Amino acid sequence: MKKSVWIVVLCLLVTGLAISSPITLRIWAMGEEAKSLHIMAERFTQENPDIRVDIQAIPWAGAYDKLLTGIAAGQLPDIAQMGTTWMAPFGAMGAFEELSRYIDRSNVIKPERFFEGSWQTSVTSAGVMGIPWYVDVRVMYYRTDLLAAVGYEQAPQTWEELYDAGLKLTARGPQQAGLSLLFTGTFANEFMPFAWQNAGRILDEAGNVTVAEQAFVEAIEFYARLFWDEIALKAGGELINDFGSGAVPIFFSGPWMVRMIEQQIPQIAGKWSVGLLPGNKSHTSFVGGSNWVIFRASRNKEAAWKFVEFMSRSENQLEWYRIVSSLPAVMETWDEPELAEEPIMSIFGAQLLDARAAPNIPQWGQIEQAISRRVEEAIFQTKTPEAAAQDLLNDIQRVLRRQR
Amino acid sequence: MKTRFYWILVFVGPALAAMIIFLVIPIIASFVLSVTDFNVYSLTDWSQAYFIGFDNFSELLSDPLFWQALRNTVYCLVIAMPLTVIIALGIAMLINREKTYCKGLFRVVYFLPFVTNTVAIAVVWSWILNMHYGLLNWFLGLFGISGPNWLGDPTFSMPSIIMLVVWKAIGYNMILFIAGLQNIPTFLYEAAELDGATNWKKFVHITLPMLRPTMLFVTTMMIIGYLQLFEEPYMLTQGGPLNSTLSVVLYLYRQGFRFFELGYASALAVALFLIIIVITMVRMRLSKPAY
Repeated sequence: MKKSVWIVVLCLLVTGLAISSPITLRIWAMGEEAKSLHIMAERFTQENPDIRVDIQAIPWAGAYDKLLTGIAAGQLPDIAQMGTTWMAPFGAMGAFEELSRYIDRSNVIKPERFFEGSWQTSVTSAGVMGIPWYVDVRVMYYRTDLLAAVGYEQAPQTWEELYDAGLKLTARGPQQAGLSLLFTGTFANEFMPFAWQNAGRILDEAGNVTVAEQAFVEAIEFYARLFWDEIALKAGGELINDFGSGAVPIFFSGPWMVRMIEQQIPQIAGKWSVGLLPGNKSHTSFVGGSNWVIFRASRNKEAAWKFVEFMSRSENQLEWYRIVSSLPAVMETWDEPELAEEPIMSIFGAQLLDARAAPNIPQWGQIEQAISRRVEEAIFQTKTPEAAAQDLLNDIQRVLRRQR
Repeated sequence: MKTRFYWILVFVGPALAAMIIFLVIPIIASFVLSVTDFNVYSLTDWSQAYFIGFDNFSELLSDPLFWQALRNTVYCLVIAMPLTVIIALGIAMLINREKTYCKGLFRVVYFLPFVTNTVAIAVVWSWILNMHYGLLNWFLGLFGISGPNWLGDPTFSMPSIIMLVVWKAIGYNMILFIAGLQNIPTFLYEAAELDGATNWKKFVHITLPMLRPTMLFVTTMMIIGYLQLFEEPYMLTQGGPLNSTLSVVLYLYRQGFRFFELGYASALAVALFLIIIVITMVRMRLSKPAY
């Protein structure tokens, strides 16, 4: 069935090219999105008969290299789906079209229509480089039955409650953890919400590095303490299995886990839920997802912009949610009953209102690595949280000094 | 003479062209890049890269992560090389025995890890090494040993990587050793037997000396291979925990293709190149024929 659809699309494309010379919009899309994007593309073509859409699917695993070589060699499509954390490095290479003048005369795309954290992922020092397409946000997944057993009828709301619930859950026995957190590799996405929840930040308005401030140090200490007290285990288990067996009753992750839990461990249906991240001064979470970018080298920018506008319309955002369940980046779409009245989705909607993205600078990759390295040192207690924060300050200053 | 040159070009040309494009030019390019500050901004606009002399190299010498990566890599080499030689040679001798049955089967079984995709191997090993459900800790548990957190503990992470690396390298080196063993004339052993030599004496005085050329090749290739350790830590640990499995090439990859500090990454590559050359030359010098 799928194959036949593709063949039809292909035939349409080929005949389309042969008969007249309408504009052909070339799009690179990744992962699951690429497989279903043709549905939206067909609708777009119905609305705009003079524009054909040619979608090229790129697996996520090879996407980074493909973009890199594409940019270096000038072999690029008109539009591409861009992971939010890739906006800065590829943006710094000067590959993306600056979109301010398109936004100024657009009726559909206005910054205030998008979640603020999500919109920030498309803004760099050089301007607006992309338009949010869909978002990911981290929330807390928890086992309602196991938390009720230690006295929590609802999800832990604060750091103290999280810590307390964690201790009680860990005390259930050997190999029983309170929650799951990453402790090695690159895990700044997991750590940064804790810093933000405590009003910690990496840079202040003047661009000074502020990671040695008390708020940030406290966040490192809290994160590390969860490991010191063995609430989180320093062993890479299999998260889904551990959640199903109850060994790990709490973890933090994005919307994709909903479907994975439903499909892989249906036996715990009704025994789990999601909640806002436990907060301290706020409940801030990490927002990611994908943006649309238009390449500067494109010769079909007007058509490309039309497509981006089409995808940003509220009804199409909703349609896209129905097709692949990715979360709409446009706020008003969340007022639709099928999102607002769905218990799990409404939590994601609420969390999106308090979510931030990493600083949109090309050096984020290095900073992210440095954060992971120093927090890891605090976790393994080779350094105190204060010393780790001080070293992190030096690391980040060194990274930023290299910038011209 | 002229026609001969023409034919030489026809036959050697394609291979030569491929070598120049995919080997010589990149090597020269990485030498050139190593003295520039080529980074993310220079990628599309080469005029943004500036000559900075040996700044990259002096930064390298003061970079604690580089030294840590180098220590880890040498650690892997020093442990993994003798282990691989001993195990591969041992298996080669067992398979090469006259009395061994199913030689072909054993050869295939030991060779399989070498031809299996490292990514697939890494996934399976991450399961084997899992602290709670892993096969290895289950096995140790049978003897009442409570196994460590292999990949999560900085003390055991590198030994885990070494285990995987050695296991993967055995097959290939075993084949080389079998070839070497089969080249040893049997009359040497027969003569030794007439003189009443024990198996151990035959091994020390015939097998080992006669394997000298094989040994030189095997160890040299191993030095080059192990110093370029990358895939295993990349897949299994990403260099962690606490950078205990960060190898030089993994660090290079991070700098070059995650952070786009291509100048700095090239300096790393040049440094690694020099280290490999020096160690390999020392190895060659050590095995000057003694007879």
